[in-house]
Amino acid sequence: MSTPAIKIEHATKRFPGVLALDDAHLELRPGEIHALLGENGAGKSTLIKIITGVHEPTEGTVYVDGQPTVFKSPHDAMGAGIGAVHQERNLIPRFSVAENIMLEATPTRAGQVDYPEMRRQAQHWLAELDLDIDPDLPVHRLSVAQMQLLEIARALSLESKILLLDEPTASITDHEVQVLFTFLRKLKEKGVAILFVSHKLEEVFEICDRVTVLRDGRNACASVPIEELNRDRVVAHMVGRENALSDLGHRAEVDAPVKLELKDVSTVAGHKDINFTARKGEVLGFYGLVGAGRSELARALIGADKMSGGQVLIDGVEAKIPNVQTALRKYRMGYVSEDRKGDGLILAHSVAENIGVTIWHKIARLGGFVSDAMQRAAVGSYVDRLEVKTPSLRQRLGNLSGGNQQKVSVAKWLAAQTEILIIDEPTVGVDIRTKGYLHKLIWEVADTGVTVLVISSDMPEIVAVADRLIVMNEMAVVADLPNTRNYDEMSPRIMDAIVTSSSDYKESA
Amino acid sequence: MTATQLETDMSPPDRRGAAFKDMLSRLAKSAGLALVVGLLIFVFVNWADGFTGKFNLFNLTRNLSVAAVVGFGMMVVLALGHMNLALGSTALASVMIMGWVMKVAALPVPVAVGCGLAVGTFLGLINGWLIVKTKLHSFIITLATASMFLGAVLIVFRAGPISDLPREFTGISKTRYFGWVSGMLLITAVTGVVLGVMYKFTTLGRQMLATGANADAAELSGIPVNRAILIAHGLSGFLAALAGVMFTARQGSALLSTGEDWLLASFLAPLLGGTLLAGGYVSVLGAFLGAMLVGILQNGLVLIGVPDFWVEFVLGLTLLATVSLDRLREVISARRGN
Repeated sequence: MSTPAIKIEHATKRFPGVLALDDAHLELRPGEIHALLGENGAGKSTLIKIITGVHEPTEGTVYVDGQPTVFKSPHDAMGAGIGAVHQERNLIPRFSVAENIMLEATPTRAGQVDYPEMRRQAQHWLAELDLDIDPDLPVHRLSVAQMQLLEIARALSLESKILLLDEPTASITDHEVQVLFTFLRKLKEKGVAILFVSHKLEEVFEICDRVTVLRDGRNACASVPIEELNRDRVVAHMVGRENALSDLGHRAEVDAPVKLELKDVSTVAGHKDINFTARKGEVLGFYGLVGAGRSELARALIGADKMSGGQVLIDGVEAKIPNVQTALRKYRMGYVSEDRKGDGLILAHSVAENIGVTIWHKIARLGGFVSDAMQRAAVGSYVDRLEVKTPSLRQRLGNLSGGNQQKVSVAKWLAAQTEILIIDEPTVGVDIRTKGYLHKLIWEVADTGVTVLVISSDMPEIVAVADRLIVMNEMAVVADLPNTRNYDEMSPRIMDAIVTSSSDYKESA
Repeated sequence: MTATQLETDMSPPDRRGAAFKDMLSRLAKSAGLALVVGLLIFVFVNWADGFTGKFNLFNLTRNLSVAAVVGFGMMVVLALGHMNLALGSTALASVMIMGWVMKVAALPVPVAVGCGLAVGTFLGLINGWLIVKTKLHSFIITLATASMFLGAVLIVFRAGPISDLPREFTGISKTRYFGWVSGMLLITAVTGVVLGVMYKFTTLGRQMLATGANADAAELSGIPVNRAILIAHGLSGFLAALAGVMFTARQGSALLSTGEDWLLASFLAPLLGGTLLAGGYVSVLGAFLGAMLVGILQNGLVLIGVPDFWVEFVLGLTLLATVSLDRLREVISARRGN
């Protein structure tokens, strides 16, 4: 048998007050796609950061091609042929697509950047991934999905022998996933060792050869061939019990007055004639492919972007929402962003500050006086109610796991006692247990009379959660469907609505 | 990051323990700087002739009280992740108009001082307004307004400084306690406490810090981001004017050179004190200690007989060393996983 490309033995990593990895093992062979699974906080990211030289293990050894190796920096790891796509985006917004792809391997001629060559090489990697992006476009003009694919293209361009992909499919469409998989299979045949981290088990069973599961920093299983596993076994390994994904069951039909109504709304972002209604206590799902204009519509609705026509009615009265303060204070409308790091949360500040931000104006005494104690008193119950795992309310939010950060994103709007809550991609980068929890939470919130608009690109999720479905495509609403919560029934209807409304389809028809 | 996942439920005693730790770590941040300041004092007391002289100490505390307010003026915009390069010009414009009101218009001193502070606030608000409207970086806006304010003052006050200001005014700088502590330190202390309370205990202060840490997230959370920017710059202008007024009281004249050499010190004090250049975190106590360090270093080095230009060199080096050390600390703690 060939020497493992990477072998990790007895890896332990202690952070102050936290044992992130506890005697973990991993073996990654050339020419395999190896799944690394586990809930948020199980130690996956820590393990990856050890392989990429971001962290040094407290104990244990990393073998590269059979040789014990200590990486002093991410640069060392890159030099050893390890390429990685991390969960956090690492692109330079003002640089062009080509410059970003070729960042680590910029071609030069006589000490000068060789721009034509750089563009040519970048184009090659874009073509490999079947990506239709202009290499001269600055990266900040791309969509989240395009950025994700760009990161993958960049890792590929290094022609690494070892490729680590930390949730590469978190925000890309099914089609893009398939293109990526085709390419990964090609790499595998070339003998590249690929470590694949994902929360989507369907993908793992589709593409991976062996599976390692971490739970609480330890191996729940190590390098088990995929044939010996099934979905339930994997979930059991991850959560320590069978079937953690509880069925949400049925929800009574909502028969309450209309809370929110959009009439022929158009926006500066390019939406035209958007119409829908949402009732009090209803969970309204928004499905669409990436780029369908769902998040942009949400931004216009809460006053972060401009509308150019039409009417918004709240409780039957026309509402003018020029900015987010008005949306929050006058109409009690909140928006949980899909981009926690970018514009959703303030990761450098504490848990308490992040929740308190929406209610400072309400809890303040005379002269805007708000003490830390007052803030903690106001937000503490939400942290408890949402079971946010944090050592204290003063904890820097960036130190919490993705799932707990997401709970904080929701908590801050619950604290603000919103009546209309828009949740954009509620479970991106969130583990299975927290995912189920968040789904239940959405129903609980709706049961208290809040109108919840859920935007999701995860079709099983939206079908499970929503009472009614709005399907969007190309900046327009293309279907308004009652949801039977039967996936096999709903998914063809949704896809049909998208396909028949597409401009390509109309042209060919 | 998956660093923190304590599996236990949090009971109240845990939270109290965390509160204590939090307070310690905050104090520890300033403690390092305080230690350096203490060390410097020890060195100069023993090796710099005349350092402990009453007049020297009076002079030192007087300079220091002005320098700290200058540092506060930069700190309040650093909180946003902004800069105010027009701090010096703003002070100049404020004191020249104050001098004119006091001397030429012969209005009462408090009215003149009020006018000076109002001018500073107004000029700061202009900076803030331009930044909000143009969405340009504060660096470029205040670089431009710095020249404009300076130019305008030089055009209007061609004739030169306004000297022989009334004793009622210059007296502010002459009060001393214990024979060596400048009374102006009281103004600085009150200003510092007010700022500290603002950041720690008011909606406005929290809004400014949230804006500085992540303006997009702050906006989407319903914070009036533009208002926070406007007020912070107005406050910066006010503090520049206040520092200018204190400086002028000491000089006895409204000088055209006011604020000329404030730039380095204005950044040094807050940055030495741990305020982040990127925004989102300030330390008022740190900025004060930073100003102390700069003041004592300047004073002591001159007494030892180090030439002026070497003092300038050392100050620049101090800034470089501080930010490098800070960066190093960050890198190390990131590898350890904090």
